[in-house]
This record gives sequence, structure tokens and C-alpha cells, in this order.
Amino acid sequence: MKSKLRRYDTLIFFLFISPWIIGFSLFFLVPFGTSVFYAFTDARLPGAAEYNFVGLSNFVDMFNNPIFSKSLTNTAYFVIIGVPVVTAGMLLLAMLLNMNVKGIAIYRTFYYLPTLVPIVATVIIWRLVFNSEFGILNAGLSVLGIGKIDWMGSEGLVKPVIILLQVWISGSGVLIFLAALKNVPKHLYEAVLIDGANKVQSFFRVTLPMISPSILFVVIIQTMYNFQMFTEALLLTKGGPNYAAYTFVYNIYKSAFTDLKFSMAMTQSIFLFALISLVTFVLMKLSKRFVYYEGEK
Amino acid sequence: MTTSNKRIAKQTGKYAILTAALVLFAGPLVWMLSTMMKTKQETYKVPPSILPESLNFEAFHRLFDVQPLMWRWIQNSFTISALVVLGAILSSSIVAYGFSRFTTKYKDRLFPIVLMTLMIPPSILMIPSYVLFTKLHWVDTWLPLIVPAWLGGAYYIFLFRQFFMTIPQELDEATYLDGGNRWTVFTKVIMPLSKPIVVTTVIFAFVNSWLDFLGPFLYIKSNNMFTLSVGLQLLIGQTSQDFPALAAGAFISIVPIGLLFLFAQRYIVEGVVLTGSKG
Repeated sequence: MKSKLRRYDTLIFFLFISPWIIGFSLFFLVPFGTSVFYAFTDARLPGAAEYNFVGLSNFVDMFNNPIFSKSLTNTAYFVIIGVPVVTAGMLLLAMLLNMNVKGIAIYRTFYYLPTLVPIVATVIIWRLVFNSEFGILNAGLSVLGIGKIDWMGSEGLVKPVIILLQVWISGSGVLIFLAALKNVPKHLYEAVLIDGANKVQSFFRVTLPMISPSILFVVIIQTMYNFQMFTEALLLTKGGPNYAAYTFVYNIYKSAFTDLKFSMAMTQSIFLFALISLVTFVLMKLSKRFVYYEGEK
Repeated sequence: MTTSNKRIAKQTGKYAILTAALVLFAGPLVWMLSTMMKTKQETYKVPPSILPESLNFEAFHRLFDVQPLMWRWIQNSFTISALVVLGAILSSSIVAYGFSRFTTKYKDRLFPIVLMTLMIPPSILMIPSYVLFTKLHWVDTWLPLIVPAWLGGAYYIFLFRQFFMTIPQELDEATYLDGGNRWTVFTKVIMPLSKPIVVTTVIFAFVNSWLDFLGPFLYIKSNNMFTLSVGLQLLIGQTSQDFPALAAGAFISIVPIGLLFLFAQRYIVEGVVLTGSKG
């Protein structure tokens, strides 16, 4: 009798979570399975009825394409340079906004606003600010005696401009760091102060270790995001100039919608998934040495 | 220097740094506001003036003239966001109830999978999802944008579940003694107590749907079905030299979220920190 009741309750449980089961199967398992399947075929169109199995040749072709290695290098730039710069920027801003002055709440509001601007609007604003002829930035620089800089048209500058844009919209990370900073116990600062530490020393000996779990979290989220950098590069310069902002996901998009090689796009997607998983795993492993969790000996 | 003088100097220094950084962060937004009120000729002036000569809203007229679909896109964006919000609340709360109130081994096995899907990079599913929606004949409809929200988004399930866990089980027991079942507990006990998390979900689902660019950009082909974001992207191509009109378009797309932020700042901040620190 009791087991019958339990079985009935399990059934009710599955009824309650059934929307998620359907959604998970349809929008997660099916696409994932499709990817793995098509990566070994030569299907060209989304609804292709005819295709052949080609083994690993998609993977071979992928590595032999010079554009692929270019996109991989660009993406590596956004991960290896972009992630530390954006994370440091967030931490610096959080520390500014953690200062104890009147009216700080108003400052916080204004720093967070850019994060809520739709990406297309952000790009419009950046085109207005960074416009080499009529933009406010070059006008400001010319007052300092610096000549016109072609921000979006220069292969060397387009990636830094995109990273700067990421700092501009980094409000969510700033909020996470701000909450972490507020949780650092005051008595720790007092303790190192008595030991004769200055501001810089107390930052490295108290602040950084105490907020290290938040740093790890932000670094992982930002790494995953920058591996998938696409929309900003697409809208700002269409991946240019001369492929300078042509990222890995941009390449996936092009393979599918311009070259109409959907199987190649899925091969690249799987490669990206493996790459992100590997890097996240390594970050987690490495972090054990640097991250301090309260309550741990 | 006396101590109080020192303190004043220190305070002034802090404000100076904060204000300098503020110029960098609010500056681009101010430049947008200024540009949208300029005439077209004014924007071609070298060196540019920081403020417009007079307040002039011609750019908005030009924007709606050049792009008669603007109204349509604004309506589309609101309709899609409203349907996403409704679906997120209904489906995620029901699923979260399942994951917070039942004792079955399946619960403990499935919930980690819900959390795992949060960590999967969405762009690796971009192409196969497109293939799926093509086969379902959903491309060039709003269904790819709306239906997933009605089938339990992992993020909102997590938010609801965390909240439900804080509601005492004794309230459930009392309802069972009165002859209630699972569904009565959910609708009569849990949901009436969950207004704060419903508000948070409304805000987050609306913001996320309004900010989404890639979804509508990939799946919607007909101009009259576009959302405002995708429409603006089309506009960048059409009138790349009409800076005031572009600024006006950007401004319109910011207004709904800006207003929401003004009235619901507390919820947004709490939501970001909650999910951030739990991850």
C-alpha cells in the first residue's frame, strides 16, 4: 500500500517537472545529438535529405582552413588578454564603488546603466563615440595634441576597442565583486593594520584571498563568454578589418549561413564545446591552489 | 594640516576619482542623448560641440519616416517579451515546485542536470537549434523565441526553487490535513507567498528577452516580424550617416529597460548577486 502511494507521488513529481523534461529533450538533447551526428556527414542545408557519412574528414578540413586558425587566434586574444583586463576592470570599479562616501548609491546606478543597454544600441553609441571623423573621442584627443585615430578601421585596435566595450557593460560582474567586498570581515583589515601593513599589502593579504571564490566565478563566466564572442564583432565591424575581429563563433555562423556547410558548422561547434570544457576544467583544477573558502582549514 | 582638513582632502579626492570614472561610463550615454537632439548638419561639425545648439527632435520624425516599421518592431518586442515573461513564470514555478517538495531519487538525479545546462555555452547549440527549428517549420515565426520560455528555463527554475526552499514545510502539512493535494499546496500556499520571486522573474525574463539579439537575428527573416533590436541593426545599414536618427533609435530601445531599472533597481541588484554568489 505504502509503495503504491510512493509510486503515485513519483508520477505526480514527473507531471510537475514535465515542462522541463520536454524543453530539455527538445531544445538541448536533440540539438546536441544532431550536432554530433551531422559532424560526421557532408550535409549542407538545415533540412538536407541527402547526405553521406564522411568520417573525420570535416575535422581534417577544419584544421586545414587558414580562416579557422585566424579565428582561433582572435578568440584566444579575447580569452587570454580580454578576460584578465575585463576582470581587473570589474574589480577596480567595485573597489571604487565600495568607498565610503555620501551619495555612492547614485554613482552605482550610473555605472550599472550601460549593462542594461541592448547590444545594438551599445554598438550605435560606440560608433558615434569612436567615429574617426566626427566622434567625441578623437575630438577630445585632438585637444591633447593626438591626431585622428581610426579605431574601427585598424587591425591592431579593433580588438582592444571591443574589450573596452566589454568593460563598459561589465556592471553585473562589478555587482558580484561589490557584494563580495562587503562580506570581507572588517576585523581582518584591523589585524593586518596592527601588523603594520599598508593599503597595498592589505589588498593582497586580505582582500584578494577573501574574494577569491568570486574572482574564480567571474573569470569562468567571462572566459566562457569570450570564447563565444560574436555579436559585438558582428555588429561593430563585421569581423573586420581584414578578419581582425573574426572570432570562432563568427566562423561557425559563416560556415552555416554563408558557405551553407551546416555539417562543418556543427563540427566547429563540437570542437568549441570540447575546448571550453577543457579550459574550464583546467581553471577549476588550478583554482584549488589559489581560491580560499571560508571554513576550510 | 589638521585632521579634519585631511579628512576633507581625502573625501574630495574620492569624489574626484568617482566623478572622473563616471564621465567615462555615463559619457557615451550623454553623447547619445546629445547627438539625437542635434540636426544632421550639426553632427558633421569639426570639432564637434558637446551639447546641441537647441533641443530639436527632428531625428525621431526622420527615424519613423525612413523606417515606417519602427512602431511595428516596438510592438513586436513588447509582445514577445510579454509572452516570454508569462511562460517563464508559469512553467518555471511549476517545475521548481517539483524540484523542491518531492522526495524521490529521481529529483536528486535530475536537478544537477538542470544546473549543468546553465553552464553549457549557448553558441554551440546555435546551429543545431536552427536545424531543429527549420524541421519544425518554426523559422520566421516567433515560436523559437517564445516556446523555450514556456518549457522551464533552467535559470528561473533555480531562482524559484531557491525561494520555495525557504517556505516552511509545516504549511504544506497543514494543507494536507485540511484535505488539500499537491496542486492545492502549490496554488494556495506556495505561490501566494512567492510574490518577491515572481517580481524578480518578471523583471529578469523581460530584460533578457528585450536584450536578446542573436535569437531574433537568426530565426526571423521577414522585416515586419523583427524585434526592435534586429530592426535597429537593419537601420545601421540603411542610414549609417544619419547619426541623430541612429542615436534616437538607440534611445528608444533603452527607454523601457531604463524605466524598469529606475523602479526595480533593488530586485535587479539582488538577482544578479544571488545567482552570482550561488554559482
